[in-house]
Amino acid sequence: MSHGDTVPLHPSSQSDIDEIENLINISAHSSVLPAKPQSPPRASIPISSSPFISSNIPQPSYQPQQQQQQSKPKPQSQSLPVPPVLPISNISPNSNGMSGFGSPVNTLTEPVWDTVKRDLSRIVSNLKLVVFPNPNREDPGKALRDWDLWGPFFFIVFLGLVLSWSASVKKSEVFAVAFALLAAGAIILTLNVLLLGGHIIFFQSLSLLGYCLFPLDVGALICMLKDNVILKVVVVCVTLAWSSWSAYPFMSSAVNPRRKALALYPVLLMYVSVGFLIIAID
Amino acid sequence: MDESYTSLPTSHLLGSVPAVISEEKKTTDSAEARLQIFPPNNGGEKGRGYQSIGSSNDGEEQQATNNWKGVFNISSYIQYFNVDTDIVLDRIKYSLYPINGDFFRKIDANPDLYGLIWISTTLVFVIAALGNCATYLMDRHTDKKTTWSFDVNYVNVAAVAVYGYALLVPTAFSFMLQYLGSNSSLVRFWCMWGYSLFIFILSSFLLVIPVEFLRWLIILIAGSASSCFVALNMRSYIEGTDLTMVAVASFILQFALSLFIKIWFFP
Repeated sequence: MSHGDTVPLHPSSQSDIDEIENLINISAHSSVLPAKPQSPPRASIPISSSPFISSNIPQPSYQPQQQQQQSKPKPQSQSLPVPPVLPISNISPNSNGMSGFGSPVNTLTEPVWDTVKRDLSRIVSNLKLVVFPNPNREDPGKALRDWDLWGPFFFIVFLGLVLSWSASVKKSEVFAVAFALLAAGAIILTLNVLLLGGHIIFFQSLSLLGYCLFPLDVGALICMLKDNVILKVVVVCVTLAWSSWSAYPFMSSAVNPRRKALALYPVLLMYVSVGFLIIAID
Repeated sequence: MDESYTSLPTSHLLGSVPAVISEEKKTTDSAEARLQIFPPNNGGEKGRGYQSIGSSNDGEEQQATNNWKGVFNISSYIQYFNVDTDIVLDRIKYSLYPINGDFFRKIDANPDLYGLIWISTTLVFVIAALGNCATYLMDRHTDKKTTWSFDVNYVNVAAVAVYGYALLVPTAFSFMLQYLGSNSSLVRFWCMWGYSLFIFILSSFLLVIPVEFLRWLIILIAGSASSCFVALNMRSYIEGTDLTMVAVASFILQFALSLFIKIWFFP
């Protein structure tokens, strides 16, 4: 049976795949089959019920064996464990690229560019939510529903690299200090909010503090390209204010209003120290 | 009624959930009504770090001993951060007056570690940053041709010195007092030493001025104010016993820190 796969299968696996597909087709022959023949039908497969209840699944397996020309010596032990393994998964059959044999591995077999593009688009959308003015700012819970840690990682490493390039001496120490300051700082700031009795999700907060570094990244890049002290001070002040403004609603709403300043002051301290590093690195 | 559920033939199936968890919450509710345990908890909860259980305890029972849930559990440290903005500002202002010796009485009910952590962190940043500025200005004063160079090593030295001092000295004093017989509370020592560092932050801004005599004057004033604060508080803490050496030692150590800051960072 052809699956439309472009990957050539080992000849012995073809028979197994044929058996299993026959199994599915036979046990689900009364249900409506989807338009694409590759994905197995979903909720109608009776194998989702518990294996302890005696079902009629083993019986149909004898039929394909009689029908198949190349029957394997141990198909029974193979076919019984296999049906419960086929999950009723939710991967849509319209995924681009190859669908593979079992539907849950679709994202594993998609092209790398698709995966990268999906992550990049998530980073961009998170960035737009956090850093740029948008109508959702009043509700910080919506701010980063779909948080991820790739964006913060890129921004922190980029800032460390830019500072390291700008430095004329002790480049590796500068990178180490910047990276340690930002990474440890994000963790400590989150812990600070938790210790003050606030309610935030740890990784969502790490993610948000990382995304709020984006303006400082831009500022550091400008300062690296143009080496004038007055310009540096102005640029750093502007980007510092921008970063603080984007982090403010999230942090301030996470704690009791009487402790708002206690939660916000360390954020300000971290951004000011990073800003000072940007200005001071020559 | 519970038993009949467990006797159904499907209860041994894969993934079956037990029908009813026997709830003892009703009886514990009255005993712990003051603790505001958030539902759903079946009695003791572990590891839910986001719940502010500590905040409802103050004034009603001993705060120091009941909420310890292990070293790696955040909720056991929440009790030490139970302060509001105005309380922290009040304590900071109080630390600037070296003469009153009753800081311990002020923080007795509610010692906090927020002051220690963030004052020492601010101090690290301030002396690293302003130390660079001050070194540059002083070199410019003597030799007109020096250019600005940022020595990132200042951050490392500042971090080691300030964090080491703020963490180790109170620990050493606490252990020494316990060894010598009287009781001591480590958290309160940390709190007091942490707030005593605040005056160095203010003086660091003044130490940027590149006049040597002025720098020495400023650091002498700030150092002695801070050392008096520490020594007088220690003396009032240990009063009744014959341990004035402890107060003198704390004075000397604080003064040594101030001299180190001046000599290394603001030459």
